[in-house]
Amino acid sequence: MQGSNTEERRRQRFDQKVGVFHQDMYRYAAWLCRDKAIAEDVVQEALLRAWKSLDALRDDAAAKPWLLTIVRRENARYFERKRIETVDIDNLTASQSALLSEQPDDDLSDMREAIFSLEDDYREPLVLQVLMGFSTNEIAKQMGLKQGAVLTRLHRARTKLKGTMQAMATD
Amino acid sequence: MTMNCEEYKQTIAEDPNFDGGAGHVSECAECRTYRDEMRALDVKIGHALALKVPDLVLPDLPDLENVVSLSNRRRLSTPTWFAVAATVLLAVFFSMRFAGDDSVDYESLADEILAHVSHEPSALWITDVAVSDDHLHEVVPANIAELDESAGLITFAASCPINGRNVPHLVIQGQHGPVTIILMPDEKISSAIALNDENHHGVILPVGDGSIAIVAGLDEPLDEVQKQVLQSVVWST
Repeated sequence: MQGSNTEERRRQRFDQKVGVFHQDMYRYAAWLCRDKAIAEDVVQEALLRAWKSLDALRDDAAAKPWLLTIVRRENARYFERKRIETVDIDNLTASQSALLSEQPDDDLSDMREAIFSLEDDYREPLVLQVLMGFSTNEIAKQMGLKQGAVLTRLHRARTKLKGTMQAMATD
Repeated sequence: MTMNCEEYKQTIAEDPNFDGGAGHVSECAECRTYRDEMRALDVKIGHALALKVPDLVLPDLPDLENVVSLSNRRRLSTPTWFAVAATVLLAVFFSMRFAGDDSVDYESLADEILAHVSHEPSALWITDVAVSDDHLHEVVPANIAELDESAGLITFAASCPINGRNVPHLVIQGQHGPVTIILMPDEKISSAIALNDENHHGVILPVGDGSIAIVAGLDEPLDEVQKQVLQSVVWST
C-alpha cells in the first residue's frame, strides 16, 4: 500500500515536471540536433532517463536545467551512436527540412534558416538565452564553459544572424 | 563608469535586454539605433526558435521495481564488506582476484554514473567550504566506510541512487576543479572501467566487494586523486 502511494506520488511529480517543461525539452533537442525525428527520439530517451533518475532531483526549482541537461546528454549520446554528418542546408533530409517548413511567414523562415545554419557552438547558447531564459551564468554551467566564452559566443551568434538577415534582405 | 560605443554594442549583442549604459545611450543616437535593431532581431530570433511542438507522448515508464534493478545485475543477498588496504596496488590485486565475474552490466553502470554527474551540476561548484563532519557522517555512516582526511577537501556529500542503491556521492576539490567520488560498497566489478564523455574522464575501481567511481573534468590528472581516494577509504566490515 505504502509502495503504491510512493509510486503514485513519484508519477505525479514526474507528470508535473514533464507537463511544464516538455515543450522546452523538445525545442532544445530540436535546435541541438536540427532534425525533427531525432529530436523526438532524444526527448523520448530523455523522458525515460528522467523517470529513472527522478529521485536524484532534490530541488524542484532546478527541474528545468536538470531536464535540459538530460536532453543535452541524450543528444550527445545519440550522435556518439549514429555519427551524423554535418548538416548541409542545401541538401536537407525530409526530417531536417520538416523543422524549417512549418513557418509560413517568409521573414521568420529566413531567420529560422539562418539559425539553422549557425555553428552548434553559437546556436546552443542563443537557444538557452532567448528561448529558455537562462542567464549567461546558467548557460555557462549548462555548457561547461566559462561565462566569458558564453558572452563571446552570444555576441558572435547575433552578429552573424544580423549579417545573414541583412544579406538575405538585399538579395 | 561610462561606457564607450564599442563596449555598449558588445554588451547589447551579448544580451539585448541589458538595461545599463543609460548615460551613454541617451547621448549616442548610433548606439540607440543599434540597441533597437538588436532588440528587434531578438524578437525575431525568439519567434523563429519557438518551433511547433508535437503532442507529448510518454514512453513506457517502467515501474519503480524495474527502475531499481536497472542492469539485471545479481544482487548480493548478504553483502560482505571487508576492510581494504589503501593503495593502488591493492585495487589492482582485487581486480585480478575478481576477474571473470560477469554479473554486472558494466556499460550501464558507467553510463549511469556519468549521467548522474552531469545531472547534478550543483554538486560541482568550485568552493573551499567543506561540508560539516556531522553531514559527512550522515552520508557516509560508519557501517559503510571510514574516511580519513587524506581524501582532500570534501565540498559536497549526498546519498544518491546509483543502480538502485543509495550510495555516498562526494565531491572533493582537485587541482583544476571538482572531482566526484561515488562509493559503492556492494557494487562488485571484476576490473576497472574507464569513464569518458565529452566533459569528463574517470574510472570505476574495483575495491573489495565494492567499487569506487572517480570522475573529473578532462584537465584533471586522475592518478594522484585515485591514490588519495584509495588511501582514504576503508570499507567497514
